[in-house]
Amino acid sequence: MKKKRFLSVLGLIGLAAALLISGCSSQSSTQQGDKVELYMGYSSDPPTKKKMEEIIAKFEQSHPHIKIKTMTAPYDDFYQKLTTQIAAGNAPDLWQSDGTKVFGYAQRGAILDITDYVTKEISKDELNGLEFNKDSEGKYWGVPQGIQVGALFYNKDLFDKAGVPYPTADWTWDDLKAASVKLTLDANGKNADDPAFDKKSVKQYGFAFFGSSRGAFNILKAYGGGVLDPTLTKSIINSPENKKAVEWMVDGMQRKLFPNPADLKAFQSNFKAFLSGAVAMQIDIYAATTSMNGAGLNYDVAPMPKGPDGKRFAPVIANSWVINKKAEEEKVKAAKEWITYWTTSDEAQKEWTEVGEAIPVKKSVANSEMFLNPATKPENKKVFLDTLEFAGTIDTNAVFTEWVKVFTDNLAELFMDKYGTDEFITKTDQGIQKVLDDFFKKQ
Amino acid sequence: MLELQTKQQAKSAVKKRKGLDSEGRWGLLLVSPYLIHFLVFVVGTSVASLYFSFSDYDILNPPKWTGLDNYAKLFEDPLFYRALWNTVYFTILYVPAKTFLALLLAVALNQKLKGLKFFRMVHFLPVISSWTVIAYVADAVFNQRIGFANAFLSKLGLAPQNWLIDEFWVIPVLVLIAIWKSVGYMMIIFLAGLQGISSDMYEAASIDGANAWQKFWRVTVPMISGTTFLVVILNTIYSFQNFEQIFVMTGGSTEAGSTGGANNASLVLMLFMFRQAFSFFKMGYASAIAWVLFLILLAITLIQFKLQKKWVHYD
Repeated sequence: MKKKRFLSVLGLIGLAAALLISGCSSQSSTQQGDKVELYMGYSSDPPTKKKMEEIIAKFEQSHPHIKIKTMTAPYDDFYQKLTTQIAAGNAPDLWQSDGTKVFGYAQRGAILDITDYVTKEISKDELNGLEFNKDSEGKYWGVPQGIQVGALFYNKDLFDKAGVPYPTADWTWDDLKAASVKLTLDANGKNADDPAFDKKSVKQYGFAFFGSSRGAFNILKAYGGGVLDPTLTKSIINSPENKKAVEWMVDGMQRKLFPNPADLKAFQSNFKAFLSGAVAMQIDIYAATTSMNGAGLNYDVAPMPKGPDGKRFAPVIANSWVINKKAEEEKVKAAKEWITYWTTSDEAQKEWTEVGEAIPVKKSVANSEMFLNPATKPENKKVFLDTLEFAGTIDTNAVFTEWVKVFTDNLAELFMDKYGTDEFITKTDQGIQKVLDDFFKKQ
Repeated sequence: MLELQTKQQAKSAVKKRKGLDSEGRWGLLLVSPYLIHFLVFVVGTSVASLYFSFSDYDILNPPKWTGLDNYAKLFEDPLFYRALWNTVYFTILYVPAKTFLALLLAVALNQKLKGLKFFRMVHFLPVISSWTVIAYVADAVFNQRIGFANAFLSKLGLAPQNWLIDEFWVIPVLVLIAIWKSVGYMMIIFLAGLQGISSDMYEAASIDGANAWQKFWRVTVPMISGTTFLVVILNTIYSFQNFEQIFVMTGGSTEAGSTGGANNASLVLMLFMFRQAFSFFKMGYASAIAWVLFLILLAITLIQFKLQKKWVHYD
């Protein structure tokens, strides 16, 4: 009798444990009648989360057969969670992916090829940035959710104080450097042109660049060089154009017109230098306007400067909606309905524009007074739209974070005078090629 | 009658040997939530990671068995040696200094002084603060532009340093901050050990004419050697597993010059592993790193256990 009771208790505990464990991995599909439950993921901070929830509520109203369940977290956490969810087979049916991560998931087989849907149902003429998620084989992996594009940000107050005219659309990178000389000041207020200029106590820099989208990549491109070839599987670092561009950068670092990585580190974060008014110009993307407005900076934007041959380049990151490859058919259908709603509904687009997080993907909204509103900074928002004409991706591929790491690490060494331009070029060329071969030769 | 009793006793003895009695079963049942947790989340994940370490696994797709590939690659990877050296270097600076300092603090705070609780609390405060908070405090000292350390150097007429981005300084500075943050915890363990020493010992020593230093060296240190051993092992393990601090202070962003310090000067094994697994989708390779890290720690701990006979006294 006692034994029986013992066994039944044991059984009960076992059952509870089994339920607990299975409850973690299997997702119960709660489908009533024709109602589809769409599981959607997006990375967020409090304002974007609130806005997204409002847009979802509106979507559910006009699409009563779809119920959206969400998974969201701040940027880093979101992708860690997403990756483990994909591994466990319970990832969202649809998620918003950072533009630099789309190919990473696509080439590892985690997202659905939506070429058919894009070519048949999405109008290229009405949408910004559709081409940026097309791979070298012409397949589409995502539909833009919001566009980020780079421009030259400048602090008007610092320009006025130095009596330097604002950047124009005709600027070359050499013009930028010439202006930087006048905008770089030491502790005594002497600029870099002055023979008494003290390089050791720079208080204000002319221009700052760092990282991938805000960094050297753009200058290499404008000089006719670059990092990867069009197939995105071969390094093209070793070229005379790149060498010229790198020398241009090193010269600026050595003259202290641009802060080197150690100088930037002193500002706690690379972004703070410009935000605190200690840097007069910086390459940045549209999303930066939120924090700049928050800091009360008097600034505006100009198109990226031209290279020696008149070539221009600006980085673009098309954050996109992507669909889980393993999603069930009716969920894929619902996901497409959501994407269509997102890209065609003026209401959704305007709501999203209000958070100021990205350039609207729908052209009509991007060109409307609502987005271009000159009452809010930067006044010259049209620059972002014009820039789309010559912008390109920052060579995002499946091993993007890994090659960028090699690239930026080596650049930091170069800028800290650990070695010269030639050594940088050979070392980076080999390092990046190794990363690429390691992945693509296995495929 | 007597015979019957002994027979029964013998029977129950046999039964006992065969399986658990009701008490034993209940015991097992009551610990079963822990056992299940242990089997699933400790044994299970360890076995899984051992398997992954022999495979090519990008997290998103099922692992492909590749045998010893990951280990072969690891032993050829210059970054692995760099990370290993950084970790060992950190440990060499960290463990002795922190152990000694914790002991000194514990002895000082074991006196019968006024405001003792306050001082104990002050030393324990950094222990409970998060690394993000500590990073801000440390920045106030080691920021090269506005930090207190450089202001002090310039007063002495010395050149300012790039503390957290300089290859030479980064590990010593990180060690200094790490000691400051966690010395209070080890101090508490030492305090507990100190309170176990009977005051008779000190009285006897006083009668024999020992001064304060002799009492510390001849009575306190040997009497507390068991605790010291525990503290050394804990500190070594902590040092090898240090991730959060390095990540927050020199590794978080992917921007130039801040990933594992300049020239990877602060790339430690845990950061190296994290980056391979979660930034580069190389879970198989990361698992191999984890197992090598485990084997190194196991070896060091075994050596420490062997050596303890020479200096640890239990009585």
